[in-house]
Amino acid sequence: MQSTSNSNRPTGRRSSLKKRTVMFGLLAALFLFVVGCSKDGMSTWEAFGPVAQLQLDLFNVTMWLMVIVFFLVEGVLLYAIIRYRKRPGQPKPTQIHGNNTLEIVLTIVPTILVLGLGIWSVFILFEIDAPPEGSDPLHVNVTAHQWWFEFEYPDAGNGKKIITANEMRIPVDRPITLSLFSDDVIHSFWVPKLAGKLDMVPTHENKMWIQADSDKIDEDLPVTLFGQCAELCGIAHALMRFRVTVMEQADFDSWAAGYSEPPAITDKAKKGKQIFAANCTLCHTIDGPDDPALSASRLKGFLTGADITPVPAPNLTDLRTRQTLAAGLMDLTETNLRAWLHDPDGIKPGNYMAARAVLYQGGTVTLDEDQIDALIGYLLDLR
Amino acid sequence: MATITGVIPRPTTYAGVWGWMTTIDHKRIGILYGLTAFAFMLLAGLEAGVIRMQLVSAENDLLGPARFNQMFTMHATVMVFMVIMPLSASFFNFIVPLAIGARDVAFPRLNALSYWLFLFGALLMHVSFLVDQVPDAGWFSYANLTEKPFSPNRALDFWAIGLLILGTSSVAAALNFVVTIVNMRAPGMSMMRLPVFVWMTLITSLLLVLAFPVITVGLIELTMDRNFGTHFFIPSEGGDPILWQHLFWVFGHPEVYILILPPMGIVSEVLPTFSGKPLFGYPFIVFSGIVIGIMGWAVWSHHMFTVGLGPVANSVFTITTMLIAVPTGVKIFNWIGTMWRGAVEFTTSMMFALGFVALFIVGGLSGISHAISPSDFQQQDTYYIVAHIHYVLFGGSIFGIFAGVYYWFPKITGRMLDETLGKINFWLLFIGMNLTFFPMHFLGLNGMPRRIYTYSAEFGWENLNRLASLGYIVLFVGFLFFMYNMWQSRKSRPAGHDPWDAPGLEWSISSPPPVYNFAEIPQVEGRDQYWIMKAKAEAAGTPLTEPEALIDVNTVHMPSPSYWPIVTAAGVALIGGGLLSHYAISFLGGAITMMGVIAWSNEPTVAPSDQH
Repeated sequence: MQSTSNSNRPTGRRSSLKKRTVMFGLLAALFLFVVGCSKDGMSTWEAFGPVAQLQLDLFNVTMWLMVIVFFLVEGVLLYAIIRYRKRPGQPKPTQIHGNNTLEIVLTIVPTILVLGLGIWSVFILFEIDAPPEGSDPLHVNVTAHQWWFEFEYPDAGNGKKIITANEMRIPVDRPITLSLFSDDVIHSFWVPKLAGKLDMVPTHENKMWIQADSDKIDEDLPVTLFGQCAELCGIAHALMRFRVTVMEQADFDSWAAGYSEPPAITDKAKKGKQIFAANCTLCHTIDGPDDPALSASRLKGFLTGADITPVPAPNLTDLRTRQTLAAGLMDLTETNLRAWLHDPDGIKPGNYMAARAVLYQGGTVTLDEDQIDALIGYLLDLR
Repeated sequence: MATITGVIPRPTTYAGVWGWMTTIDHKRIGILYGLTAFAFMLLAGLEAGVIRMQLVSAENDLLGPARFNQMFTMHATVMVFMVIMPLSASFFNFIVPLAIGARDVAFPRLNALSYWLFLFGALLMHVSFLVDQVPDAGWFSYANLTEKPFSPNRALDFWAIGLLILGTSSVAAALNFVVTIVNMRAPGMSMMRLPVFVWMTLITSLLLVLAFPVITVGLIELTMDRNFGTHFFIPSEGGDPILWQHLFWVFGHPEVYILILPPMGIVSEVLPTFSGKPLFGYPFIVFSGIVIGIMGWAVWSHHMFTVGLGPVANSVFTITTMLIAVPTGVKIFNWIGTMWRGAVEFTTSMMFALGFVALFIVGGLSGISHAISPSDFQQQDTYYIVAHIHYVLFGGSIFGIFAGVYYWFPKITGRMLDETLGKINFWLLFIGMNLTFFPMHFLGLNGMPRRIYTYSAEFGWENLNRLASLGYIVLFVGFLFFMYNMWQSRKSRPAGHDPWDAPGLEWSISSPPPVYNFAEIPQVEGRDQYWIMKAKAEAAGTPLTEPEALIDVNTVHMPSPSYWPIVTAAGVALIGGGLLSHYAISFLGGAITMMGVIAWSNEPTVAPSDQH
């Protein structure tokens, strides 16, 4: 932005003012940058796994290159309009029509730059496509529903099949291969700390892999990461969240081994169990993986769209072991669970429990406070 | 049927409401386009305000998800199809015939039809507000969320049918401009002497003619799925929702260039005028525009990097998208080259043009970072994308259009806009725009997905959202200044025919231009014809200070006004309205359309009273 010496221009104070303005601008930009970048739960500025790390590295290089290009081009632009601003009595400028050499140079240089970046990203694309060969990945099938996530471990260890909802547990330092499905509309699977997103498309299996590395995570395990649906999928899209808990392999194994072991329940909860059986089991399974035939009939009921048909709903087995409810929306506490049972539509507008369950057809829940107490007792006794 | 025209002669009045409704004068149609689009801009701007109000704090429940989804869907749909495109069309209409030395477009009545189809299609889509079934699936309305089981009410029928009518309007207008530019140039105006704005109009029009049929197919399939039991996009019946995405983006990416090329053309007129120098590298700007127009067809899947097309497809689209940055960069270098060693004059129009260049650079650079597919997996569907589109469409298109408004307003109305108000207008929009959209880059990288009506405080998105909402207020005030500036221009000083010492032919005639534009069709000797004429006159010692002399209108053969464009358009709108309500109305609409078309084709070219 320094001006060249020009007879009719004051120098000294003005140019130092200009310098100060420029410095201020740069500092403001730097400040905004520091304040702007967070490392909160959903931030992409922090990578806990190799896939996210490669993506972040690539982005950082791109971004700083773009920052340099930005200052270069905007700098030249600013210089041009200040240096060549119209001055009183100035004669008509020389009429130049172009410069072919300059044009060719200014075409070839950016071409090289963008092609270089492009080719590098192609290499990264193939590198993050599949886990390293020879690794021993854990496989999880993830199915998206309006508006929650279902996680199925076909073999979580010793051949045990697990189906759970909205909270995925993964062992640390081990690749996890994911098969992504959707039952209804297009959703997108995104855990920013582990990897970029991949859409979940009905009738179309998408595959990705993730891994959490212990050396990239500062805190003690288990660590809970945030995920969210990233493709507009209807009215409760904003509230379709989930969690990924990264744990030691041993902890993961003991969780898997204990899955769906019948819990000891209190007397109050026994009453709750009856209420659950009478009102909730059309849609919710609570004693292990869902029966595939049952799942299929629920889905069929959902797609035909008739009122009061069973619909796919989160598997509630071992509910007590989870941290959140309503697709990662709030902490699983007695108060929150009570509020949810009273008015699901008020908490998560549009959800299908309020819309389809017989219990809620009158506008409010048809259970009395004692019955809700018993139901909560039962649900929270599930280990 | 020929008797229809026997009993209804062509209208003869040029005055009053009837004059405007039956007008086929490209200048009046241009003004109609501009005013209508500006009204829709205010509407879509208010929708944006509602969005910003909802997002101002975490866990805000001002609006609720249903309304919020409607707001962002309509904001984007209106801004793209009913604001930026028709604002560009407004300049096409008013400026192109003047800039090529013609008396009107090739098909004046078709031109009127395009406008009325645009108006009626846009109004039809807004009837959805009256019945509270507002489109709510986003501006690209991904299938199969748009299918009956997930969107049972009429909302998406309003969207699809409204867009079908708007598409008809765009294709008709685009064909008209292709024919006009190819055939109606003044003698001597070879293609490489065309003003760049006209070139960009031509490329945009060709893109429109080729791109809209693709979305039309998609929209018809969607309408069929929703109303007549087909299964194009229904996966459980063997359809494919991804097909919609391909159809949409094969249209949608050229559409991006349809939105940006005309403002690029405007800027290419404004920068030379206020630098006192011809455009630097004219052939490079023109050819880069053509290259963008061609390559724009080979990049659509970069909107679909996260769909799961696989690394091979993603690689191809990464490379093609990276390459399309080059011709865009070429344009920016040439614009800077135009100012280099010039005499840069900071009029409001020029400041908007400079704002365009400065902000488009930001949008272009963030665009490069999206093109890099592996890191785009993190950015896709976040506010980083929202920031990018607003830098290219607001900082780019809208700033370019403002440059055009301040540049051509004196020609259109014969009055000057106030420069002080204009500069306040510019700075408020420039500051407000950056305040609103720059933080969104960080919001996106901090993980905020787009299209969420609420977010929890723990993700740390609140402060940046507040900043963005504050920016909206600044933008709002900026628009108030613009409107006041337009309003006060009624009494401002007359502009004269050539207030900017501009190079284009449109400045050689009086402001506002007479109905017939040019008394004598000019003979063009080179690029920037009016500069050539002025330089010659100056050299001869008789400087040009007056516009071309006016002549008696009745000595010029001009087409007469016609009822049939508006009647035909009303018929088409009724066909659409019937599909949304009762099919009988569609048949009525069909009959009116048929009558309109037949009467139109039998109409004499001039009214008996206008013959000379």
